[in-house]
Amino acid sequence: MENVFKNIYNYRELLKTNIKKEIRGKYKHSFLGVLWSFLNPLLQILVYAIIFPIILKNDIDNYVIFLCVGLIPWTFFTTIVTQSTGVIIANANIVKKVYFPREILPISVVTSAAVNFVISTIIILAFVLIYGMGITWHIVFYPIILLIQYLFSIGVSFLVSSLTVYLRDLEHLIGVAIMMLFYATPIVYSMQTLPENYKAIMALNPMAHIIEGYRSIFYYQATPDFKWLGIILIVSIVLCVIGYMVFKKLEKRFAEEL
Amino acid sequence: MPTNSDVAIEVDHVYKTFNVFYDKTNTIKEKLLFWNRSKKEVREILNDINLEIKKGEVVGLIGVNGSGKSTLLKLMTKIIYPNKGKIETYGKLTSLLELGAGFHPDFSGRENIYFNASIFGLTRKEIDKRLDQIIEFSELEGFIDNPVRTYSSGMYMRLAFSVAINVDAEILLVDEILSVGDQHFQEKCFQKIEQLKEEGKTIVIVTHSMDSILRFCTRAVWLHQGRLKMDGDVKKITDAYIKETA
Repeated sequence: MENVFKNIYNYRELLKTNIKKEIRGKYKHSFLGVLWSFLNPLLQILVYAIIFPIILKNDIDNYVIFLCVGLIPWTFFTTIVTQSTGVIIANANIVKKVYFPREILPISVVTSAAVNFVISTIIILAFVLIYGMGITWHIVFYPIILLIQYLFSIGVSFLVSSLTVYLRDLEHLIGVAIMMLFYATPIVYSMQTLPENYKAIMALNPMAHIIEGYRSIFYYQATPDFKWLGIILIVSIVLCVIGYMVFKKLEKRFAEEL
Repeated sequence: MPTNSDVAIEVDHVYKTFNVFYDKTNTIKEKLLFWNRSKKEVREILNDINLEIKKGEVVGLIGVNGSGKSTLLKLMTKIIYPNKGKIETYGKLTSLLELGAGFHPDFSGRENIYFNASIFGLTRKEIDKRLDQIIEFSELEGFIDNPVRTYSSGMYMRLAFSVAINVDAEILLVDEILSVGDQHFQEKCFQKIEQLKEEGKTIVIVTHSMDSILRFCTRAVWLHQGRLKMDGDVKKITDAYIKETA
């Protein structure tokens, strides 16, 4: 256990440069550069804010804020899953040539996405201020929910990144799964409007609780449901451990499979 | 933990096979439909290799192509893992197997030094300390802030070699790279390796050049078809090897 962290700590410089490369490299050749970190979610919110009130009748107040509080953490999650599917393959040139702790790769994906997410949170803050809702002290819970989502994402990333090396189809399956999960998560609609039996199913979706958590802070301006968040935290830790063990088992043949 | 402290590399009953697929199935559909049909040949690369390399030894691995030399080196670096048996290394290890791994063509030589050295597990401080030494060794002072894509292949190799050789590892694994750059740079590399040898580093060299083996090595290991054929005195083994392959 101690060795796990020591090994990563020894390679901290690689982790740092890798994270920087992910963040900087993403928009390297584009004219607007890092501005895309804002523009992307902003335009997405705009599209959804126009479409969904038309096709889906709802009486949610300040729907734009409701939407953006759900959509931005969701984008954080999907970015990680889609990038994780390709991260080992994209780094085949170094995986095949040198030794370094392979877990650096999924950890960089998650961490750079987390940095991006924290930057995008400015959009949420801008919206609540523009709409006159203001920011309340509940924002102190933000780092806690971020930490839970981070751990959950690390677990998912370990699994997805290592399994895809052996089963390349996963990349496409995951695309479909994400699309379905989008509607199974209360992003464009409210969990309260669901019939009771659907609510029970929804409770099995960790992302639902995480998004509801952010929504409590910024939209309802209330204390999040810590009973559920506690359960998700435990689930995330278990997922991290399982993910790590699977990753460690599978990494032994990465160089041969690539 | 080391069984005794003067061992650098321990290779204990190591077996390695590669699966050679004629028609590799990588998709789920193919795996489900043709799970018993994929033609696969298990090729034995290493067969029961036992080797104990002591600290400060300079070992030359020789053998014809396909005898498993490079595979053994890759196992030592932990890029691949054995099917059976164990390999332990004691101390910081650098491999000069594939130079310039992870070089990014758009980044400058300087940035690539940082990135490449971090792959070898160096921290920022450690790289800062070695930066001048690395640049000086590469003789690329005038080009170090240009993107690596503008380098000639010789310059590229010089930079890569300079990083790898300056990371201060206790164990060095070298695979046929004693042919970097021009005559002058090559001679410099040889001198650097001599110097590392005098400093008591453990070095394993794979090469077909018997001259290099005779010049550097304190011990030779001859691999033949995945098995250890001879191990010991450099002169005796190179003579025997030349006699058999000639």
